Amino acid sequence: MVQKKNSNNTPTRRSTRNKKSAEEEPEQPKPTKRITRSLAKKLEEESKNKVTESSEDVEMAVENQDVEMAQAEEIDEDAKKAGEADALVLADIKQNFILLERAVATIESRFTTRVLRTTASIRKRLNANILAQAIKEAFPRDSVDKARLLSYLNKDSVMEIDAEENSREATSILPEIDLYLHLLVLIYLLDKQDFDKGILLANETINKIKNTNRRTLDQLSARIYFFYARFYELTGNLAEIRPALLAAQRTATLRHDDDSQATLINLLLRNYFHYNLYDQADKLVSKTTFPETAGNNQQARYMYYLGRIKAIQLDYTLSHTHLLQAIRKAPQNTATAGFQQAVYKLSIIVQLLMGEIPERSIFRQPVLKKPLIPYLHIVQVVRIGDLSNFQETLAKYGDVFRNDKTYTLILRLRHNVIKTGIRMISLSYSRIPLRDICLKLHLDSEEDAEYIVAKAIRDGVIDAIIDHEKGFMKSKEIVDIYSTNEPQIAFHQRISFCLNLHNEKELASAEALRERERELAQEIAEGEMDEDDDVADF
Amino acid sequence: MSVVSVGSQLYEPLKKEFNSPNPNLEKCGTYLAKLKISLSELALLLPEGEIPNTEELLIARDILEIGAYWSVQVKDIPSFERYIAQLQTYYSDYSSLLPPSPKMYPLIGLNLLRLLSQNRIAEFHTALENIDPQQLLENVYIKHPVHLEQCLMEGSYNKVWNARAEVPAAEYLFFIDILMGTIRNEIASCSEKAYSSLPLADAETLLFFNNSLHEVMNFVHERGWVVKPAENKIYFTTKDENKIEIPSTSIIQHTLNYARELEQIV
Repeated sequence: MVQKKNSNNTPTRRSTRNKKSAEEEPEQPKPTKRITRSLAKKLEEESKNKVTESSEDVEMAVENQDVEMAQAEEIDEDAKKAGEADALVLADIKQNFILLERAVATIESRFTTRVLRTTASIRKRLNANILAQAIKEAFPRDSVDKARLLSYLNKDSVMEIDAEENSREATSILPEIDLYLHLLVLIYLLDKQDFDKGILLANETINKIKNTNRRTLDQLSARIYFFYARFYELTGNLAEIRPALLAAQRTATLRHDDDSQATLINLLLRNYFHYNLYDQADKLVSKTTFPETAGNNQQARYMYYLGRIKAIQLDYTLSHTHLLQAIRKAPQNTATAGFQQAVYKLSIIVQLLMGEIPERSIFRQPVLKKPLIPYLHIVQVVRIGDLSNFQETLAKYGDVFRNDKTYTLILRLRHNVIKTGIRMISLSYSRIPLRDICLKLHLDSEEDAEYIVAKAIRDGVIDAIIDHEKGFMKSKEIVDIYSTNEPQIAFHQRISFCLNLHNEKELASAEALRERERELAQEIAEGEMDEDDDVADF
Repeated sequence: MSVVSVGSQLYEPLKKEFNSPNPNLEKCGTYLAKLKISLSELALLLPEGEIPNTEELLIARDILEIGAYWSVQVKDIPSFERYIAQLQTYYSDYSSLLPPSPKMYPLIGLNLLRLLSQNRIAEFHTALENIDPQQLLENVYIKHPVHLEQCLMEGSYNKVWNARAEVPAAEYLFFIDILMGTIRNEIASCSEKAYSSLPLADAETLLFFNNSLHEVMNFVHERGWVVKPAENKIYFTTKDENKIEIPSTSIIQHTLNYARELEQIV
């Protein structure tokens, strides 16, 4: 009951549609089903004519809006359209089954990739009926899994009896399709916020994965691990699954299952970070190798985590390179806004800690503008080098920073604020009493000022000298930089950078050429194989 | 051997001895050694897997805490490090099972100070992340090392020196004294760069030598500074001046390298 209420209470367009079709179904199951089936067939053909899926999506969205607007008057129409939409999703899922079969037959991972790419669009339109329908058709008659999956959807397996005039009587099911359905049910439960059931199902699914060792499953199992951890995170029991994840990571490494490996390492890191266990996270990173073939999304995540660890350990330069990579690898759209914001926040602080000022343009990006406001203030304060202002800003936005887990990092900035202040003073005065420095920087005492300036001189922040007896700081004359070896070093740096860039480019293009050739050969081979199928597509 | 028998045989006397005003440290050490053996026999030294009952855990934690304090008192830093590492399991993994220990924050603070005194700043910050942010600002035992670290980074060494008087517990002094040695060297290296000359009397106050010219002179000789007795001043020899040479070997290397690369491109 509770779960049903949940799903109905969520005020999304989808769920109102769900409700309607869910009410419709039990009353008159046979006619709708017939309609659905025939529609499905028709639509399947139709969808074949449509080349891109995205255009379909757009249409769907428009359709939904119409439904929403004309709700009261045309309930009949509404139900019909809902049924139509369901049929479309079902058709998509079935199409995916075919792709999965092909993936197994040809041992090609890209078919699975194609299947998983549609998950996002299917996810938006998923409901219990569609899932039940898909499950019924995919599984053989008396499969245990079938009844189990259906029970998670609150659908009785008895119902299947009248739906059993199946044309295509499945005798066995591919593990890939089996897992794919598990995945869909998991996603459905997550969207319905039915965490208890989700955890149960996730555990069962994980056991299933452990017992099957097929390379064609890799991508699917990686996804399932992700949702497994997500369920535990949402229920606040992240610490519990750590041993399970570690064991899974070991298995994945032994099986050379790169996708699961990458996902699992990231999940573990996330797990450690959740409890601030940076020490253990660092050890995990040093003991594992992140698979190079992992997807960009996983790599971006991994880079972000590495950046975090290095920032905590005061290795800012390395941290910054990792974060930059994370920013570049992450997809630049609004769907990943949360990730982008998190990475930028950290990278701004790290840049400040390195003594650099982040570019102003970062703060103007529409996705980042608002959440980065506190950080903008911090940057401004550090740039000016005003200590009292810094404390004020820190107090004002303290809670925001604590939420973002950047507070301790920002505390370290105090030192940078002082450094900038000293540098400014040294640039503008050729000679200044220590007392005035103390006043300008809002330091506590003159003695403090002397020690701080002495340290700044040693660290190379400023080039000056202190006269202790008379109590002033005297900036040294600026030496002609061209009389030193400095320019040569700078030139060398640039030249070697350019040379490296050139070499890398050469290497990459050579590799890409080889890759293209290989792909071309493959495509030709494939084109011959499923000619009848693909030709119909165009 | 059950926990109860261990408790009566060794734990109680250890507790009594350690909490007495003048504990016999040697005796405590032998108790601790024996206790550690029995703890490891009971798999309580580094508990894992099945969770033992809370009472046993509490006793084990208590023993380890005493061990950590004892190590500080006998000035055995590696042993202190080991005890803290073992306690970490109790503090983080079993925090939901056990009532919080009153000694937890003092010990964590001590550990932070140890990392600071050994100049292991990266680990210091990693350890800091583990602490509840609220405690970071309020807990007197944690605040002290955090404040010290900030002062060190800034270079306000006299604040560090003054912090010696504000230690939250007597055990902290042991590590602070180690820290002082480090600071003195820091100041010395700063002074070398920042001053061209410094009167001896001022050097004495700057380096926190309490009115003993003799110590100053020793230190000056250690660092190899020149003292002119007539002026009573220290002169710092500036090493890095007028020494601009042409780095011929590296230039040749670079040029050859460029030539090779260019050849590849063409």
